[in-house]
Amino acid sequence: MTALLLKRVRLEESFEYTNEQIVATNTGIYDVLITNDVITEIAPQIEVADDIEVFDAQCQLLLPAFREMHIHLDKTYFGGEWQAPSIATNGIQTRIDEEKILLPKQLPTAAFRAEKIVQMLIAQGHTHIRSHCNVDQQIGTKHVELVKEVLEKYRGQITYDIVAFPQHGLLKSEVLPLMKEAMQLGATLVGGVDPATVDRDIERSLQQMMDIAVEYNAGVDIHLHDGDTLGAFEIKKLAALTKEAGKQGHVTVSHAFALAGLEQSPLNELIAQMAEVQMDVTSTVPIGLKSNTIPIPYLWENGIRVSVGHDSLVDHWSPFGTGNTITKLNILAERFRYIDEYSINRTWKYASGGITPLNDAGERVWPKVGDAANMLLLDGVSTAHVVARRCPITTVISNGNIIHQSSIELKGVYR
Amino acid sequence: MNYWLTNVRLETGEYEKDNGTIGTKVESFHLEILNGTIQQICSATEPLPQKAEQVDMQGKLLLPAFKEMHNHLDKTYLSQPWKATIPSKNLQHRLDMEAAELSILAKTGKERAMTMIDLILRNGATHIRTHVNIDPYIGLKNLEGVLAALEHYKDVVTADIIAFPQHGLLRDDVPSLMREALRNGATMVGGLDPAGIDLTIERSLYTVMDIANEFDVDVDIHLHDGGQVGYYTVDKWIDIVEQANYKDRTAISHAFSLGDVSVGAQQKIAERLAAQQVKIMSTVPISMGRNIPPIDLLTKYGVDVHFGCDGFYDSWSPLGSGDILEKATRYAEISHKSNERALRNTLRYITNGITPLTQDGKYAWPNIGDEASFVLMNAASSAEVVARRPLERVVISKGKIIE
Repeated sequence: MTALLLKRVRLEESFEYTNEQIVATNTGIYDVLITNDVITEIAPQIEVADDIEVFDAQCQLLLPAFREMHIHLDKTYFGGEWQAPSIATNGIQTRIDEEKILLPKQLPTAAFRAEKIVQMLIAQGHTHIRSHCNVDQQIGTKHVELVKEVLEKYRGQITYDIVAFPQHGLLKSEVLPLMKEAMQLGATLVGGVDPATVDRDIERSLQQMMDIAVEYNAGVDIHLHDGDTLGAFEIKKLAALTKEAGKQGHVTVSHAFALAGLEQSPLNELIAQMAEVQMDVTSTVPIGLKSNTIPIPYLWENGIRVSVGHDSLVDHWSPFGTGNTITKLNILAERFRYIDEYSINRTWKYASGGITPLNDAGERVWPKVGDAANMLLLDGVSTAHVVARRCPITTVISNGNIIHQSSIELKGVYR
Repeated sequence: MNYWLTNVRLETGEYEKDNGTIGTKVESFHLEILNGTIQQICSATEPLPQKAEQVDMQGKLLLPAFKEMHNHLDKTYLSQPWKATIPSKNLQHRLDMEAAELSILAKTGKERAMTMIDLILRNGATHIRTHVNIDPYIGLKNLEGVLAALEHYKDVVTADIIAFPQHGLLRDDVPSLMREALRNGATMVGGLDPAGIDLTIERSLYTVMDIANEFDVDVDIHLHDGGQVGYYTVDKWIDIVEQANYKDRTAISHAFSLGDVSVGAQQKIAERLAAQQVKIMSTVPISMGRNIPPIDLLTKYGVDVHFGCDGFYDSWSPLGSGDILEKATRYAEISHKSNERALRNTLRYITNGITPLTQDGKYAWPNIGDEASFVLMNAASSAEVVARRPLERVVISKGKIIE
């Protein structure tokens, strides 16, 4: 048995109202005992035997750890020399053509760079990582293998999913046998990409993807950049396939840009179809001048789980990306015009797999005895404070173990 | 004060990489700094005079210091306990809520402004343009706080201090308060939404210009008014600038309306703005449904565009970071500037137009005689700085290293 006692942690308890308006978050200071990897006691004062590790949180805020739900660990410049992307003259095809030369060239450093990202994500408070890994004619299954090896090194600190990702088209690049091989080698989810734009055969592309998922008893996570009615059509088809295959609750649409480009009534119709098969969505919260972000809060309110992901930190697709999920939520707040304590507070769920200390009604629901001990200590006094002012994470706890610490001057309510 | 800043990397040109992309060429130099300016620039391979005082920058990339061109030092809650913003029903409600706390906040004006200046400075901006409320509730109280704070930083931060009629210009005795502010330390005249707030466009604009003329100071007007009414306000302002011979002396902040109109209308106004050298200040907002001025188009037409962080952690917004570089990064991202040149050129919006290399990659900065105000970072090029926004920075203002 391993145990850890966190002394003096700040827990959110309720919202504070003035004139029926939420103006602040009330917190209390507690001790939290973790035994093995779960929380076993929460009380104002807990006394333990001498041989139990005690960590003084100094009244820092305790919040649920992050889950990074969309990243490509396998193809990155991160940890290497600076390189700006080239000018794309032929859209996504320019990038795919580049990969055919670039990825084999990067193979010798790929594991090193993947590990650099994993370390950075851990330091930024993530205890779960979902990584897409190219499965293509040049790389074969090597990316799946090397990323798995890297992630296995951090087992105990993080859990993970590996998505076998036919970036160059499941049909177009003829990778069906390679995809199956990737699933055998340890990929946990079947990926896909724009059946219309890349494979140019919506029906057959989606069907083949789902067939692999059924054969390997796995879930699906598909990249869908295709816009408005085209993307909507693909999602609709996918929802029908999901039902047919009995994959309810196991299918994710990444990006789902189509949801940003629909009129209200077709949007509602599509959301209902997605919700029926418990399809979920991941978004990087893109901020392009001429494009909208998908209506993340509206999707959630209507039964679609939405998670955020960083996608890329710096690669041949994009030079931007921070790996900092607090910044990501801050951008989400700005994008959706959240300025008050309550609405900023509610953003945490998009990064934590839905876990928040207070529920929508302001009742304390986390942490509870029996909860997994994946959590963060932060130099802030409320979730809203942390997101708005990007308060730093000082301690990352995974499965009851402290896996990362950074020493900073604590400022608390004055940060 | 005389010393050598050694082993700094400067961008000296471009080269074509093996993969066909453009890379930025950098070389190491020593810079002699004398009385806040660059006295000599020599290659790092050359020996230095033996007794020279040296500060080793260990290969950091040298960039011009940033300029924060739209802020509100008087409004922030920094240095006070955290609080979020209370949602407002409309602009008038927001103004009423601000008015209700002005006198309480005024007591801590200097302390709050100092904390904000410190944050902005450490992020690399050595010049701050701040708007300061001049209003019928507390008169010049906020100006006093901001002036006291800036006085504390006077050796390392230059500032434009704008008398800003946040609660309307044409009401109560605000015009005379504005004049009093200009006699007591404000260096520019501000204005605010003539249509939306003053409910009279021409008289409001003329009053701003009259006050500016009277004190021979420059102008920077907040204009949130959107669509055609905002567009007309800018157009009318340019008429007034022409009449008053105020070329190169005025700016419009926010100017959302320029993003609301057709490209044809944008081109037309861009020509007029460029002719009268009216600058546009943007805080590059990303809230959905908000258009921003067509920055690329304005730049192409020769209009000066500058970025600012705007007020942050205040009764208007709890968000922000106080890092002006983040605005450049954000603009590059939202306008899809991702290659080396496009990223590099985005730096101009936070450096008063200075970039180390010209548009086509020729050496442009620094030169002997330039002010020794720099930001230094571990980066391969200014393109990397814009894309990756390194957080560790050494800031030097007129030769003084910020400790």
